[in-house]
Amino acid sequence: MHKIWVVVRREFLEKVRTKWFVISTVLGPLLMASFIVVPILMAERGASERKILVVDASTDGFGAGVVQALRGPGPIQAELVATSVGRIESVADSLNALVGGKALDGYLLVTDATVADGTVEYRGKNVSSMTDMEILRSVISRELLTARLGRAGVARSIVAESQIPVRLRTVSIRGGKVTDSSGASAFMLAYAVWLVLYMAILLYGVQVLGAVVEEKTSRVIEILVSSLRPVQLLAGKVLGVGAVGLFQISIWAASAWVLFRQRDLLLRIVGVQTGGVMGGGAFPEVSLGTIAIILTYFLLGYFLYASMFAAVAAMSNSEAEARQAQIPVMMLLVIPTILMIGILQQPDGGMAVALSMIPFTAPIAMPVRWAAATVPPGEIAGSIALLLGTLMLIVWVAARIYRVGILMYGKRPSPRELLRWIRAS
Amino acid sequence: MQDDLVIDLQHVTKRFAGHTAVRDLSLMVPRGSVYGLLGPNGAGKTTTIRMVMNIIAPDEGTIRLFARDATGRDLSHRIGYLPEERGLYKKMRVLDLLVFLAETKGVERKTAKRQAQDWIDQLGLTDWALKKVNDLSKGMQQKVQFIATVLHEPELLILDEPFSGFDPVNTQIMKDVVVRLARLGTTVLFSTHIMEQAEKLCDSVCIIAKGEKVLDGRLSEVKRQYGGRNVVVSVDGGIEALHAILEDRALVAKADRYPQYAEVELTAGADPQALLESMIRQRLQVRRFEVGEASLNKIFVDLVGKEAATPRAEEEHRHA
Repeated sequence: MHKIWVVVRREFLEKVRTKWFVISTVLGPLLMASFIVVPILMAERGASERKILVVDASTDGFGAGVVQALRGPGPIQAELVATSVGRIESVADSLNALVGGKALDGYLLVTDATVADGTVEYRGKNVSSMTDMEILRSVISRELLTARLGRAGVARSIVAESQIPVRLRTVSIRGGKVTDSSGASAFMLAYAVWLVLYMAILLYGVQVLGAVVEEKTSRVIEILVSSLRPVQLLAGKVLGVGAVGLFQISIWAASAWVLFRQRDLLLRIVGVQTGGVMGGGAFPEVSLGTIAIILTYFLLGYFLYASMFAAVAAMSNSEAEARQAQIPVMMLLVIPTILMIGILQQPDGGMAVALSMIPFTAPIAMPVRWAAATVPPGEIAGSIALLLGTLMLIVWVAARIYRVGILMYGKRPSPRELLRWIRAS
Repeated sequence: MQDDLVIDLQHVTKRFAGHTAVRDLSLMVPRGSVYGLLGPNGAGKTTTIRMVMNIIAPDEGTIRLFARDATGRDLSHRIGYLPEERGLYKKMRVLDLLVFLAETKGVERKTAKRQAQDWIDQLGLTDWALKKVNDLSKGMQQKVQFIATVLHEPELLILDEPFSGFDPVNTQIMKDVVVRLARLGTTVLFSTHIMEQAEKLCDSVCIIAKGEKVLDGRLSEVKRQYGGRNVVVSVDGGIEALHAILEDRALVAKADRYPQYAEVELTAGADPQALLESMIRQRLQVRRFEVGEASLNKIFVDLVGKEAATPRAEEEHRHA
């Protein structure tokens, strides 16, 4: 037991001292900070006005209505240029030069056809901006509705009054109780859970692979096996790298929490005035139960994949060979990722339930389901039991492959040889 | 007597897929001896040593260490093992690495630190203690490996081809350390295919070839048994005075005569001492009597065959 501890400590200290660890630990919170800051900065930049002209060749002054509707605090400011259908192209030609010279962002061509069948044309340099185009589209269609209803004799004020935008507020119900989190934030949480688990299991699993290959290629293993049992070595390695993983994830989680709590301060530092009103949605409510589920499945999943990676590494003679040999293991981890959207859309669907039961996909699929919907306790228990059983079997097999593999050089073993390794006592 | 065997192998056999690496090998290493396990590449030396260390298990036979049934790994605190294929963690600092390796053998962390520092100073690596292994030259890395082997003051050193790849200066330093430790009572088992090394260091040897023992015993006895049949003699009066003795077919098989001396090849089983006695009995004034010891290398070649004795470069360690 003491010897395992010695291996764990070495693995932990050496890993934590690497440049890789320091850089990724710092980069994590920076990335999170940028997730908070960048969208707001973008919105901020979006707040700078776009200037457009409405070239109105209609006979009933439809363009003036559009200009009127765009007036106010919106990001697009418009001015009217009245013209006739005959001269519209020559006006457009002269405006092209203005757009090119950056005096103007674009112009809208309005004719009688607009009111008749909805044809309208916008030319400008911001056509790729979905928000700008959405604003234009909705303003024009509202004006069209007003114009057409006006023709039928409905007063403008009545039209305005009847157009009430719908605000759908979603609240998720968990365990029969209404929670503070909205549907959107449940989705966000599930998504985040998936990302964290996938990254963590893959990242640290591959670290185990690298560590085993390093010991083998550097031949330090020859010295180690004289004083450590392969099982002690394997356990120490997996636990040590796992501890590094938990340590790093804790740092990330803590900094995410601090960053979110202090986001106003953060935004002020980068020069954004928030005025206390925050965009970007509320931080999803993470209950203790959710954290427990995530941790449990992370640990079980990590142990499962780390032992598989260790066995694969023990079979290989070089870093390159190991990279190739790990692909089948990696695929097991990628499957729930590919089917992720399906799980998120139907957390109680047949596929989601199946994936959260299969031991190789459960470490990711089950916490995602848990975050997105209510999972019956029976299913959780079943999934953990299956996962634990498989884990023990895999660890047993992996330890046997590891024990023989670390001292074998040369050709990679065939499946038949592998079976012999596993059976050898 | 049996209790004083540090290593005791009885009828050990190890088979790998397709071939037998070690066949019915018995090996007894007494306490305090420097024991050479000799053989050409692929003879089964490394396999034997790995079985002693319990890294692999024998298919047949028994292995006892320190007269106990415990395995090499359980006794790792009493054994210093230097494998043939050896490496270090490249990115670790020298001192940390040595402390770690000592800890895996059960040395307490504090003690390990102190002893590691002692050895580092002793072998002239003081300035490198906090450098990464990667920054060290190959010779220095070899010293570090050696320190890792002896740091925990083992009673038994098992060195698998200890000097392969060492430069002459380091080889000498390491040999001096081994000799010093042996004098302090450490038992040493080391394997080599270079006979000159064994001749200088060992007091007992075992020669194996193709997994089987060819001979074993104390080096002096081995030499007497297989060598010592060439004698150079010279007496007052020159070759004429020796004539009668050189014609004694019971003692002398063949003699090359020179004006002042003769090179004599004794008959099989004849004792050089008998030749000397008969010379004295004839009242000859002996000026020179030199028993030419056959070198270990010659014995090895005679027994194993020239072909096997010549290391083949492409021979791979996994057959060893």
